[in-house]
Amino acid sequence: MRAFAYEEPRTLAEAGALMARPGRNQLLAGGTDLLVRLKRREWTVDTVINLKRIAGLRGVEARGDHVFVGPLTTLDELAASELVAKRWPILVETVHEMGSPQVRAMSTAGGNLCNASPAADLAPPLLCLDATMKVWGLRGERHVPLREFFLGPGKTALEPGEILTEIRIPPALAKGCFIKFCTRRAMDLAFVSVACAAVGKDVRLALGAVAPTPIRVLPSVEEAMKRCAPIDDVRASAEYRREMVRVLVRRALARVAS
Amino acid sequence: MKSVGQRVPKLDAADKATGKSRYVQDLRLPGMLEAKILRSQVPHGRIVSIDVTEAWKVPGVRAVLTAKDIPAKVWGYSKDQVALKGDRVRRIGDELAAVAAPDIEAATEACERIKVVIEPLPAVYGMEAALAPGAPLLHAARGSNLVQTHLYEHGRIEEAFSKAAKIVEGTFVLPAQQHGCLGPAGAIAEWDANGRLTMHDPTQIPFLVQRDLAEALDISPADLRIVQPCIGGAFGARLDLYPHEAIVALLAKKTGTPVRILFSRDEDFQTDPVRPRTIVRLRTAAAADGTLLGRDADILVDCGAYVSWGAMTPVVMVNTFGNFYHCPAARYRARTVCTNTQPTGAFRGFGNPELLFPMETQMDELARALKMDPIDFRLKNANRAEETTPAGGHITSCGFKEVLEAVRTRLKRPAAPAAPHLKRGIGVAAVFHVGGGARIYRSDGCGATVKVDDFGKVVVVVGATDIGQGMETAMAQIAAEELGVDVSMVRVATQADTDIRLWDVGVHASRTTFIAGNAVRLAAKEARKQIEDARAALKLPADAPLDKVVRAEHFRQKGRLITASVFYDPPTSMVDKANHGNVSAAYTWGCHGAEVEVDTETGQVVVKRIVAAHDIGRAINPMHAEGQVEGGVIQGLGYAMFEECVLKDGRMQNGYFLDYRMPGIRDIPEIETVLVETNDPEGPFGAKGIGEPPIVPIGPAIANAIADATGVRMREFPMTPERVWRALRGNR
Repeated sequence: MRAFAYEEPRTLAEAGALMARPGRNQLLAGGTDLLVRLKRREWTVDTVINLKRIAGLRGVEARGDHVFVGPLTTLDELAASELVAKRWPILVETVHEMGSPQVRAMSTAGGNLCNASPAADLAPPLLCLDATMKVWGLRGERHVPLREFFLGPGKTALEPGEILTEIRIPPALAKGCFIKFCTRRAMDLAFVSVACAAVGKDVRLALGAVAPTPIRVLPSVEEAMKRCAPIDDVRASAEYRREMVRVLVRRALARVAS
Repeated sequence: MKSVGQRVPKLDAADKATGKSRYVQDLRLPGMLEAKILRSQVPHGRIVSIDVTEAWKVPGVRAVLTAKDIPAKVWGYSKDQVALKGDRVRRIGDELAAVAAPDIEAATEACERIKVVIEPLPAVYGMEAALAPGAPLLHAARGSNLVQTHLYEHGRIEEAFSKAAKIVEGTFVLPAQQHGCLGPAGAIAEWDANGRLTMHDPTQIPFLVQRDLAEALDISPADLRIVQPCIGGAFGARLDLYPHEAIVALLAKKTGTPVRILFSRDEDFQTDPVRPRTIVRLRTAAAADGTLLGRDADILVDCGAYVSWGAMTPVVMVNTFGNFYHCPAARYRARTVCTNTQPTGAFRGFGNPELLFPMETQMDELARALKMDPIDFRLKNANRAEETTPAGGHITSCGFKEVLEAVRTRLKRPAAPAAPHLKRGIGVAAVFHVGGGARIYRSDGCGATVKVDDFGKVVVVVGATDIGQGMETAMAQIAAEELGVDVSMVRVATQADTDIRLWDVGVHASRTTFIAGNAVRLAAKEARKQIEDARAALKLPADAPLDKVVRAEHFRQKGRLITASVFYDPPTSMVDKANHGNVSAAYTWGCHGAEVEVDTETGQVVVKRIVAAHDIGRAINPMHAEGQVEGGVIQGLGYAMFEECVLKDGRMQNGYFLDYRMPGIRDIPEIETVLVETNDPEGPFGAKGIGEPPIVPIGPAIANAIADATGVRMREFPMTPERVWRALRGNR
């Protein structure tokens, strides 16, 4: 790991000021993606800015017309939240498919989304739940629907210097399922992931790992097949991924319908 | 028996569990520097220039070495290896330069500043392409990329196939498998003021490294001492001399201070002497009544860029090929080939998993074609005790029938699954392996010294190496049994170095319990005789405690200490030029059964249950034997289902644990282990080796279960969901 400066700002304003400094400044949440890249010398950064000292970025609570999920909430905390378990068991199911107990204790909901992997496990269920990302920047706050948050592999709608401060979920209950398809039964990345949730009578469907970003699609096999655009990589071929979209979307829709 | 056969917890378990064991990663010597190697990013090329000027500008750098700074010594199994490459690189990862600095960051920074110009040459990655006329040559002196051809034959092969009622044939493709040791490679070198070198080196072959490293460094082996720190796994990965060992010694010599090299996980993936890619073309013939008639194999084994132990796997394969089952005719050709890829080495099972996947698949295919039960078909052709095979193998103890029957009674056909896209099936596969050493060197021996001190403490100094397999505990139990003392009174000097220990060929071939066990048993027996002689001569009562007898013998006029040294070399022979011979003093037998559930829409295979039965002669420690079986099953499951090195233009695409998948705990089914004890006549207290056999038959047992469930034959590992899905669709 190359040397870097390390900062622990206490406020968003301090963090913003640090981000505005010249050089490559990288935010640190759980570190489970960042540290791997630094140790493998894939990334060189000038400053690592740890967000954990900033109050108000962690926890799950009902707030008026929505549920607040702090971006620094760990995956364990997310799954342990009674509020989450009662309203969206699909999120608990998803977290249990992610990483290992050690990783789930460290990694954060916000980190999983801001890392913007096409295979980010939290993205498909949160797309189904119509989550919105609240973003803070030196020029003010704004809200970005999760459907517009992902721009490409590793790319989000966050502008330079902007920080995710809230994952906002509408309070409606949903029942659904998350199918993570991979080789191993734990500690793996999805070839294909499918989230399907019914909010009232509204059935929603989202896919992971089969397009440059996680995608929300209309709830049918035909729509999923039309919208998915998988690639060949070391994990699976595009052809196989496409066929698995067909099989798994059918299964997910059937499960939610039953 | 009071000690042998007891479930004694591993003597090193507490130290390992509490972090007290010292691995090379934990050792620090005063003044020690850290080393880093600059590696080629070009798979094949001519080195035009290496400019190290900028490397010296990194603060703290103490040495920068390239080929022109070191002795021009060629070494290795086939004399094609050098520590630092001066004229040619033959794979991504080849060693170009090395730096020593006070910390790894400075050493890494210095390596990154070295300017290397390499003129690329055409490279070749596949074995068939490497053998084609006009293929780029890796080692011009050899005249071809073919390293060696191994031939074997017995019986009349053409006649056997011409009168067969059923012939099955197929081509089987096996991937490179990484050892993935918990402890990546590393070593520390220090020279004393008299020019003598001490290596702290987690090698499996301390006495061979003493000879081979001295050759590579152009020094006398008498000036070299190997100390083994605690070894963080090996599985065959530490069975040869590797460039980093020579490099760290050269850096230590240059700087006059101790130097350590530790591989990062990425580097360990890039340099691991992987299980060789292997292609097996096999056909097997049987008569209508289920009698095996003949088998015919043509095999390619990938050596990678330099010849190491991967090139020897045909020697083990041929042992199984010529000895296993009554097969009146057999013909075998195996060719080892160099390609511009990672050099391949030894890996638990050493060729046997590569050969028995094809062989046991075809046993299953023949049984089905002849409408016989797969276990009955194997029993009909099974080896028996006290027979000599056409290949010259002499079978002594033989529990083959017992292991087959053990699986038959425990592997039940599962109920039909609920969903129509799920199919369930069961399959079996068997293993034959050396269990009493393997004479691939002129000596297959091991020395041991047992001393009993004034306090009744028994110290065992044995040449053998503990790589986590439990050598220490097994030797303590054997010594305790022979001396009639409690295991808690025995210490095994695992930290003793090559100056102190007696010679041993190394830890490989499932040989340690058998060979070192016999050495320890014989030394303990001799020590006991000395004690009993003393008791009689000094007229001490029969119930006088052992320590009292030892003290009485020690502190008398012309006193004597209780100590005995023994060298045990098994009654075996090397194979002759035609690959005939009895290389092992005992052979082991095993059978695995697997139950699988296949999702026919996705190709996903879930292994639901495994039964693993092994004839191990006698379990010195049943708990450890079960551990060896479970570990082997899991590693074999990884080979069969998950693991492969994916290459693109010679570069590994998945050299990290996320995409190089080893089985995790949720991938491992219930494993029922059955230990069959046949009391081998030559083994210590009847024991035979068990280190390797359990990795071998699990893959074909799963493949046979998939065939049982779906009717589709898998002939390529790993059997990933996508491969199974393609096979189910009838294409590749």
